[in-house]
Amino acid sequence: MTGPSTGVTRSLTVPLPPARGWARVRRWAVETPFIQVLVLIVLVAVLVALIPAFATRPQAAVSILVLASLLALAAMGQTLVVILGGMDLAVAGYILFGAMIASNATSRLGWPTWFALLVTVVVCGGIGALVGAACHWLRIQPLVLTLGVGAVLAGGSMFLVNGDYNGQPPEDLRALAQLTGTTFGLPIPPIILIVVLLGVVLWLFLSRTATGRRLYATGVNPRAAALTRVNTAAIWAGVFALSGVLAGIAGMFIAAFGSGWAQGTGDPYLFSGLAAVLVGGTTFGSVRGSFTRTALGALILTVVATIITSRGLAEAQSRIVYGIIILAVVALYGRERHVRDRF
Amino acid sequence: MSRVQGILQRRSWAFAFVLALILLVVNLIVSPSFLAPERLPATLATLAPFVLVGFASTPAILSGGIDISVGPLATLINCLFIAVLIPAGWGEWYVAVPILLLTSAAVGTVTGILVAVVRLHPVVASIGVFFVLVGIAVTISKQPVPAPPNWSEALAGSFGWFPAAAITMGGVALVWFVLRRTAFVSNLLATGESDISAYGSGVNVTLVRVLSYTLGGVFAGVGGIALSALLQSSQSSLATTYALLGIAAAVLGGANLGGGRGGLLGAFLGAVVIYLVQQLLTAAGVQPSLVQVTYGLVLVLGVLLGATLLNPRLTRSRA
Repeated sequence: MTGPSTGVTRSLTVPLPPARGWARVRRWAVETPFIQVLVLIVLVAVLVALIPAFATRPQAAVSILVLASLLALAAMGQTLVVILGGMDLAVAGYILFGAMIASNATSRLGWPTWFALLVTVVVCGGIGALVGAACHWLRIQPLVLTLGVGAVLAGGSMFLVNGDYNGQPPEDLRALAQLTGTTFGLPIPPIILIVVLLGVVLWLFLSRTATGRRLYATGVNPRAAALTRVNTAAIWAGVFALSGVLAGIAGMFIAAFGSGWAQGTGDPYLFSGLAAVLVGGTTFGSVRGSFTRTALGALILTVVATIITSRGLAEAQSRIVYGIIILAVVALYGRERHVRDRF
Repeated sequence: MSRVQGILQRRSWAFAFVLALILLVVNLIVSPSFLAPERLPATLATLAPFVLVGFASTPAILSGGIDISVGPLATLINCLFIAVLIPAGWGEWYVAVPILLLTSAAVGTVTGILVAVVRLHPVVASIGVFFVLVGIAVTISKQPVPAPPNWSEALAGSFGWFPAAAITMGGVALVWFVLRRTAFVSNLLATGESDISAYGSGVNVTLVRVLSYTLGGVFAGVGGIALSALLQSSQSSLATTYALLGIAAAVLGGANLGGGRGGLLGAFLGAVVIYLVQQLLTAAGVQPSLVQVTYGLVLVLGVLLGATLLNPRLTRSRA
């Protein structure tokens, strides 16, 4: 016990020896979305084996991609919130609000698309920022606060339209999301490209900017981040605002894709979105979380849902499979430490 | 003022109590026959599922976790009883009640094992279970199945002057009252307050956690029976609503999501508040969507107040 190099200091200062063999493979598999890619390839192979039409008709593959990109867009903000160590249950409310604005405000009040987009961004972003700031300032669990805010948003959207669910999104918005849409003459709906572009921007933001790294730092250890002069309050407000904005925009596209909306439009996207985040491998306050993983998760879930539907099973069975997938994937690498090891 | 605040801070359920009293008075003004003796059994029967789902989410919250899956568990038990057990001829109470309670205890234990032994984040574990339970409930009964005449109708009525719904709620409260006198609840609260300290004091943290989810599962099972008594049909579509109601009731009742603070009395009062708000708005003829808005607002206000005025250890965020 003499000298500065006790067991504890050594374990903190001396770098670990490089892992070899199996340990190295394991670490690599945990640090990259390797398992997800593998699962996706297997699932696609299963899908093509079951329904050979998917290999020959591009239309079928495009429809899967559109569904997956809508899910990924709805889960984009949730990814950031989960990286921060929270959870946004108001997503369903934001989606419903965006869908309501895209369908009813445009057709009933004659708002142009850009104005509808602006209103969605300002309202959802503003509410999200307030939620984030309140959660940070008062140390409230985001789970509960967003639950209440989501109920207010969903109920408010339905109250504003007064039972009128027949609004149609404008033609230019529908052309962006519907299956018949084309991008630069290619038979691919622009929504896929939009989500891919947003994903690239988000990746650059998270991995190449100081703010992105501060976001990870806040998620891993808020206290340490604050002590290194990261403005954690601003990070919280910003992330929840971004979550609201992205979910609201997702709601507009979801309404455009489905040519309208209904009372229950938001709920499936809230839960499947969360599932996509978790299946992708982003866990609460994790350094390895990213939108690439969420996009992979969204693809996996969409392919699973397609396989389940093609076997003649109902949506209920896909819920069961989703649940088991979440539990299995998170059990693989999202486990927490034992009390004994935190002692 | 500070004395009132002190009382509110020391008794975590006091805020919900005051809110419930105010809402009760307003309800009586709007419809003076609200508390009439002949309406009491029906009122309590409507209240019972709310209260029991609130009870069910409490043990998990006290242990420092959260269980989102108790609401869906209650609706699953409802579907299992009405759409499976009664058609199969197992509808008699001495057959059905043990099956239902054992099933709910088993589901609760599975959630508990996922949280405490597999060590998943409680939110993740219970959301996974949530999905599975909703899927099973919808598979059992996609459309509401009406129940033939059966014993559970009596639970929504009254025996003489005695409202039968008090049996389900009272039974659970009695179980908790007894457990409070054992080491289990003390260990549960200690684990919720700080699992590290509890572990250091020799508490079997893993076992206490698993048992808290089991207990929540059993309470949710009783909630499912009360729900069947009220609806007399299987309603798999209520899962999400009850999932939110359970957490909202516990939080409004002063349960601290960090764990270690709160109890069944708070969850009861929280559920009463939610029920009275809905009752008031329905009596006033307000649209269902506005009821949802108000319910959300009550939850937001409750959480904000709980975190500011009523928090005895107000720790402004230093993180």
